[in-house]
Amino acid sequence: MPDIAVADFVVIGSGIIGSTVARKLAQAGASVLILEAGPRVTRAEIVARFRNSPRRSDWMSPYPPAPWAPHPIYQPQSNNYLVQAGPYPYEAEYVRQVGGTTWHWAAHAWRNVPNDFRIKSLYNVGVDWPLEYDDLEPYYQEAEVLMGVSGAPNTGSPRKKPFPMEPVAEPFAMRRIRERLASAYEVVTNTTARNSRTYDGRPACCGNNSCQPICPIDAQYHGGLAAHAAEAAGARLIPDANVYRLDHDEQGRISAALYYDPDKISHRVTGKTFIVAANGIESPRLLLLSASDKFPRGLANSSDMVGRNLMDHPSTSLTFDADEDLWLGRGPQSPSSIGVMRDGSFRAEHAPYRLDFTNISRVVSATSALIDQGVYGDEFARRLRYSAARELNVKNVLEILPDPNHRITLSDQKDAMGIPKPQAHYSINDYTKKGHERSQQDFRRIAELLGGSNLRFSKDGAYANNQHICGTLSMGSDPKASVCDQWARAHDHENLYLAGTGVLPTCGTCNSTENGMAVALRTVHHILFEHKASDAPASPRAG
Amino acid sequence: MDDRNAALRAKEDVTRRWLLGSLLTAYTASLVPWALAQPIDDRDQGAFLAISAIIAGHQALDAQLAKRLYDALIVDDKRFPSMARELLSLIDARKIEPLHLQQVLDAEKSSLAGVPRAIARAWFLGIVGSGVQARCIAYENALNATIVSDVLKPPTYAYGVYGSWAAKPV
Amino acid sequence: MTVMSFNAGLKGLLLSAIVLAAGAWSTARADSANNPDAALIERGRYLANAGDCVACHTEPGGKLMAGGLAVATPIGPIISTNITPSKADGIGDYSVEEFSAALRRGIRRDGQGLYPAMPYTSYAKITDEDVAALYAYFMQIVPSVDHKPTETALPFPFNIRFSMRVWNWLFLDAKPYTNDPAQSAEWNRGAYLTLGLAHCGACHTPRNILMAEQNSRLLAGADLGTWFAPNITSDRNSGVGLWSVEDLIHYMRDGHAHGKAQAAGPMAEAIDNSLRHMREGDLRAIASFIKTVPAIHDNADAKPAFEWGAAGGDLNAIRGVAVPTNRDQWGGEQLYNAYCATCHQAEGQGSFDGGLPSLFHNTTLGRTNTSNLVMVILDGVHREPDVDMPGFAHELTDSQIGTLANFIIRQFGNPSGSVTARQVDALRAGGESGMWMVWIARLLIVAVVLSVVGIAVTLILRGRRAERGTV
Repeated sequence: MPDIAVADFVVIGSGIIGSTVARKLAQAGASVLILEAGPRVTRAEIVARFRNSPRRSDWMSPYPPAPWAPHPIYQPQSNNYLVQAGPYPYEAEYVRQVGGTTWHWAAHAWRNVPNDFRIKSLYNVGVDWPLEYDDLEPYYQEAEVLMGVSGAPNTGSPRKKPFPMEPVAEPFAMRRIRERLASAYEVVTNTTARNSRTYDGRPACCGNNSCQPICPIDAQYHGGLAAHAAEAAGARLIPDANVYRLDHDEQGRISAALYYDPDKISHRVTGKTFIVAANGIESPRLLLLSASDKFPRGLANSSDMVGRNLMDHPSTSLTFDADEDLWLGRGPQSPSSIGVMRDGSFRAEHAPYRLDFTNISRVVSATSALIDQGVYGDEFARRLRYSAARELNVKNVLEILPDPNHRITLSDQKDAMGIPKPQAHYSINDYTKKGHERSQQDFRRIAELLGGSNLRFSKDGAYANNQHICGTLSMGSDPKASVCDQWARAHDHENLYLAGTGVLPTCGTCNSTENGMAVALRTVHHILFEHKASDAPASPRAG
Repeated sequence: MDDRNAALRAKEDVTRRWLLGSLLTAYTASLVPWALAQPIDDRDQGAFLAISAIIAGHQALDAQLAKRLYDALIVDDKRFPSMARELLSLIDARKIEPLHLQQVLDAEKSSLAGVPRAIARAWFLGIVGSGVQARCIAYENALNATIVSDVLKPPTYAYGVYGSWAAKPV
Repeated sequence: MTVMSFNAGLKGLLLSAIVLAAGAWSTARADSANNPDAALIERGRYLANAGDCVACHTEPGGKLMAGGLAVATPIGPIISTNITPSKADGIGDYSVEEFSAALRRGIRRDGQGLYPAMPYTSYAKITDEDVAALYAYFMQIVPSVDHKPTETALPFPFNIRFSMRVWNWLFLDAKPYTNDPAQSAEWNRGAYLTLGLAHCGACHTPRNILMAEQNSRLLAGADLGTWFAPNITSDRNSGVGLWSVEDLIHYMRDGHAHGKAQAAGPMAEAIDNSLRHMREGDLRAIASFIKTVPAIHDNADAKPAFEWGAAGGDLNAIRGVAVPTNRDQWGGEQLYNAYCATCHQAEGQGSFDGGLPSLFHNTTLGRTNTSNLVMVILDGVHREPDVDMPGFAHELTDSQIGTLANFIIRQFGNPSGSVTARQVDALRAGGESGMWMVWIARLLIVAVVLSVVGIAVTLILRGRRAERGTV
């Protein structure tokens, strides 16, 4: 078994958070190795695959899974990689490749609002975080400067310094929505990691309207850039390295990571400190796979909380036709939202939510609908233009409370590499359902203010998923009820840290990346400056 | 209806009508507004093109794309050419209007019900086949993109310089 | 040569200006209305901008006029000097006569010659009044910076600065510009700026073997090592004969002429630093003058460079075809579509308002010389305030750039242009090496020395034979 010995840090997963952690550690002089299960990719080939895709609305089609590092896909058929144990499907999508899933995101970069950290104390639901908004504030700022984030100045998240750049220009359609809703709602420009000017050597947005699944010009930040920056800082990255187990010594210190290459040859990597950053499903999966005699429930799992408290953001929506031509599809996909329901005393009763206005082009969905209806001839063109010009959609982004029955476990089915597949147990609870019901009022009012006709509500009981995987490695102060502490260090293992959105103990109403980044940056700061002893770099590298 | 027929006939290129002549009756010819700029290889492709023109309305049909779509449709289902010919005859025999075509076929559970849908998907979406057999033949040139191309670019293509989307579309 | 002499009146003007200014250090934008000295300085600032001194004398991100920027030449880098009024490291000790000698004759205060990378042959046209204004600006407004940049050290024999005196004797026309009475005031202003401060010929006029501008081929185009400066004579096909004056003004002020061309590389810098800040009237004058520059025609140019091409591309060949895993096997349309079409659009037509330009009717693809096309692909296009086409040097190999460039030339440009991978490799490296010039110069010197020695020896031997008295 070939060995690689790394002096300082082994980071498992090269997504936006893992790569950023690796980069910061390398910049501080540590020797860092990143192990990434999936392959390297280029932007150009992703763009080419998207344009060649036979499934226009399937945003996973530019990201075919590598056989040695599968990820879940559901079209044209499910590959059954993420086994569904129910009762409600959790059809999460993520990408195992260098840079991870944020090649594909809409770049929402919201901070929590301060009350999100204390919903147990304030509203008697969920849990409190082991830290406060103010503890995270400087790291939020650091993440925003690193990624190039901008947005409306006052969205409930206080800030000490301004955004690094101005908010992205508002599309015409969003301006009209904002103007017509002004009497009832404040529509704000989203906080996003999208350039409104040249930033960090990358161009400003040019309105490609394909943020998901790919920004063709790198106007939005993503994990591919983070991985590139990590390597430029001196971190070594090994792609196609599917880590299937972490070994430990007699004291319970993590001693090695074992990975398969595409030929299923096993390699062993040793190091001083291990950081698992393989997303909120693959990370708990790895910990569970690493069960041993000493740790029969898996690593970091004396609390039995690894994989539990799985949370995401479910969505329901309303589609309708406005009474004026607005033409969604000009500019970025996700420019504006309403935040009034992100926090309030109602949180004691029902889930809070954000209300998002989409700017995704309606052309493909309208075309499919018209073909289904058998609309041909000149009538097709007329109705397609009408829908493209007038159709709007508003959706909610609902909070889910942590529930230990919602979890990721190991299936008894095995993937192509012979490793037990991840399995999802999930449902939508009453708290969230009531939030959905409350949001219908807002949907109707919004449609009314925009002269809406042809109202089409999303199917009752059907919740779309947003791929914000939280909770499965929850941080907390009580080792009996959480997996890691406020610095995301595993309670059970001195040299094991967790980085990613899985450590977030509640999901709030904002997309999880900015929160996960800020927490991880705080973790790195802690590793480098506060915890001197065995975690400090062995020796600063020259140069 | 008569005025429309006359106007359409006046617009059509005489040569094209002659080429299609063997395929079309007066009725079906009246449904083919103009569409075709190149001579047709064979009768089978001609039937496909005639139905394509009926389904696509006044949209220009690129001849090279037509050939690629046709070849792909045959690969997807080798009975396609004969079904297309049959459908064209049916349309003529019963004088079915484009807007009622799919309804009529669906209501009768016709074995040809899939043909106009397949042709519509091919031209409007640029996709032939379904499920794992689905293939992309066109994206930027698919008619759904060209129909809105005065206002929108197909996703992944830049709309314009930064901020250009703030203005009302002309 | 002796120090240039000024008429007494000019000296008097200068002395009073300096005395007035001595008590009050003004900021860059002095109140010109009430203060004639401020007017002089402001004029000097405008002229320094028109002359684009910063292009060479200010490093990117560095201090104003403090030098240190290395200008690449085929025989090695020439490093700009500190021309702030620092006494230790700049021109603080220069009198106005010495300033003028450096500026207009390429002679330093210590008597050494400047290399003509400093375009003093153009600046020779500057009038005495304008020299005085420039002097006032440099001495009074430019902050003094005490820092001496690295000295230029070209290989032998080019490090012998005295040779520049010989060069000047051969090639320098030291007369300042005088108006042609047969032409309008606007034309004369345009000629003065174009031939003088704006020093367009420094890039756009081809040079002879001794690196002097060929006056008979004014603005006929020249290779700058990597980028080339095209023919901007009045020729209809080879030059800008079919550009309107408005086109030229837009180009100089905004960096692009719609449906024709956009500035990149060194021209983009000239526009950013200098041209876009000039008064509309001066740009009009330059444009009007350029339109009268004698046409120099290249028979290879069948059409103006901006008239080539049409919307095209070959989507039918690539839609539904998976891209090869080996990146050097990607075809031209695949490369174009995945890397370029995102902004330039699938058929090369550009964005609705032309902000992302079309590739047809675009001089970048319309020329037989394809260096600029390759440089744009490698380096991108960057112009103030917000034009930022990224470069693809890190994403595309030489072979890919060759395939891509040949494809887009065929589809959208002038089919007599072509690009090779070898050409891309050379341009990436900064152009072909000019060291051959150094070796030729050295060989010539050896030849001359040997000849001189040979003649001397022959004469001496003959003399000795004569002494021995053969009759």
